[in-house]
Amino acid sequence: MDTTNNNSSNTTYAIDVQNLTVGYGSNVLMKDLNFTVNNGEIFVILGGSGCGKSSLLKNLFGLYQPLAGDVLIEGQNITAAQGAERQKIMTSFGVMYQQGALFGSMNLLENVTLFMEEYTELTQDQMDLLARCKLDLVGLLPYETYMPSEISGGMQKRAAIARAMALDPKILFLDEPSAGLDPITSADLDSTILDLSKNLGITFVIVSHELASIYAIADKVIMLDKGAKGIIAEGDPKVLRDTSTDPRVHQFFNRIMSKDVA
Amino acid sequence: MSISAPISSAEPPVAVWSQTDGNNAKISLMGKINVYSLGGVWTQIRAAQNAWLKQGASQSLVLDASQISSLDGAGIAFLIGVEEVQQKAGGKFEIVGLDARYQPLLKEFDPISNLFPVPAVIPKRSFIVSTGMAAQNLIDDARGLITFTGHLTADLVWSIRNIKQVRWGDFVNAAVEAGINALPIVGLVSFLIGVILSFQAAIGMKQFGAESFVGPLAALGIVREMGPLITAILLAGRSSAAFAAEIGTMTVNSEVDALVSGGLSPIRFLVVPRVLAGILVMPILTLYADIISIIASMFTMLAYGIPFINFYNGMLAAVDIEDISSGLIKATLFGVVVSAVGCLRGMQTGTGAAAVGISATRAVVSSIVMIVLVDGVFAFISYKTGF
Repeated sequence: MDTTNNNSSNTTYAIDVQNLTVGYGSNVLMKDLNFTVNNGEIFVILGGSGCGKSSLLKNLFGLYQPLAGDVLIEGQNITAAQGAERQKIMTSFGVMYQQGALFGSMNLLENVTLFMEEYTELTQDQMDLLARCKLDLVGLLPYETYMPSEISGGMQKRAAIARAMALDPKILFLDEPSAGLDPITSADLDSTILDLSKNLGITFVIVSHELASIYAIADKVIMLDKGAKGIIAEGDPKVLRDTSTDPRVHQFFNRIMSKDVA
Repeated sequence: MSISAPISSAEPPVAVWSQTDGNNAKISLMGKINVYSLGGVWTQIRAAQNAWLKQGASQSLVLDASQISSLDGAGIAFLIGVEEVQQKAGGKFEIVGLDARYQPLLKEFDPISNLFPVPAVIPKRSFIVSTGMAAQNLIDDARGLITFTGHLTADLVWSIRNIKQVRWGDFVNAAVEAGINALPIVGLVSFLIGVILSFQAAIGMKQFGAESFVGPLAALGIVREMGPLITAILLAGRSSAAFAAEIGTMTVNSEVDALVSGGLSPIRFLVVPRVLAGILVMPILTLYADIISIIASMFTMLAYGIPFINFYNGMLAAVDIEDISSGLIKATLFGVVVSAVGCLRGMQTGTGAAAVGISATRAVVSSIVMIVLVDGVFAFISYKTGF
């Protein structure tokens, strides 16, 4: 496991997407996507609502089978993997779903320890301590005995991030982590993400709309477009904001209303 | 100097405990410290630490982290765990050689005492308190039922007056789901009931040569009691649970709140169409169940040498229109109760996915209890009035 931040060994990307086509049946959302995510990078997927960002994410971590193409996670093809091999790839990353998707019948601590119980040989006390560390990172330590239904939506999202980090994965997929959070919590979350990326070398793949957060954390963004069915911009978000000549990109980064463009 | 044995023979241990004397000990970490490699090793190190701490006071523990190749969140939790025990025992603790990039993460958790909450003592309830609470729950439940009955009655009256405003689309959907789609299972079960009822009766009656009376007996039992009862129980299992789950999910998703905040009555909107559907389908399903059961009974008695015509004449002598209508009125009442209870339990759903399951279960149980209650009251009334 390489947790250093330098990408000297560029032969293996954290994620390598090759000719990926995303969609449902005959409804193609994205066609022939090609991009790579380096180890330790904070990679953000942008795009308007309904363009298929979440669907793309679910294809990346193997929840949905892509219509065509391959996704390589740390050099291993998750699209083709089966059985135990697939399960092994699955434990190398953590996922935070848009709505949190916490298990409603368990309190926050139990939500975080669940995957540890299944995959490690730690004792209950050790798992509890580990889980408390994760909850502390997202600022939810005082709420460990609360049920998911007893906390707010923003807190559920943070708890879901803690659960995604349970096994210290090398890659974290976050679906709109800061949507619905107050500015302070959102900034705290950004700083936690930066810390984890810088110090533990965790790779982040994030779907987000929050421009402030994107400028603060993203190393690289890709922007998807519904009409183009593909990537229309790629690179550093600040550079894209200042230099992109594509009107769609310019409009997105500068928050210009649709009617002002037309 | 004692060195702990490696926990796994395949992989070298990631942590080794060594102790120079009673007061000084060292933990050497090496290799990849992560949530998998710590399994077992953690327990081992902590056991050694505990045994060592028992030996004396003012002990000093050094953790050598210079040979770590990688450390993740679990490794940091391990460091914190060891440090906490040391702090509690009043000993010294020092980490040497830890890579600078891990320091900020370790600092995130200061003060570490927050990570070790004092377990809350759950007060034990006395028998009297828990009995009182159970009684209170029962009273609350009864109050909820009465309030709901009142609202529902008012809204049913409203729906008669404002017949055009009833959501007939929902009514049709519910009626199709609870009625037409229930035909196969109701048919199957009532056929079985018809066969069993007449077969069992025939065994006994045969001893007295009274097989010819089985037909009237079975037919009367079916139209007055078995038909409505079996149909109602099936409706409770199918539709009451479905109503509870459907409305329960809507409650969980705040859809019911959205109706209320939009100025609409959830009872008028959700419950009335379903209860009306229950009122419509129950008598029809019951009649269908009666017919299937009686046909099944006829075929069974044929095996005992009773021709169809004898069965038919015997049945006509025993069963009159009052018996059938009594069964159908009872079935209609069952229809109201079963669909309303399903909706009520759905509206009472708490939060979370588990709550929907609980509501569906409660809907079926409460429906069946209510069926028994209604049946008892109805039997008493018909005994007194002769209807």
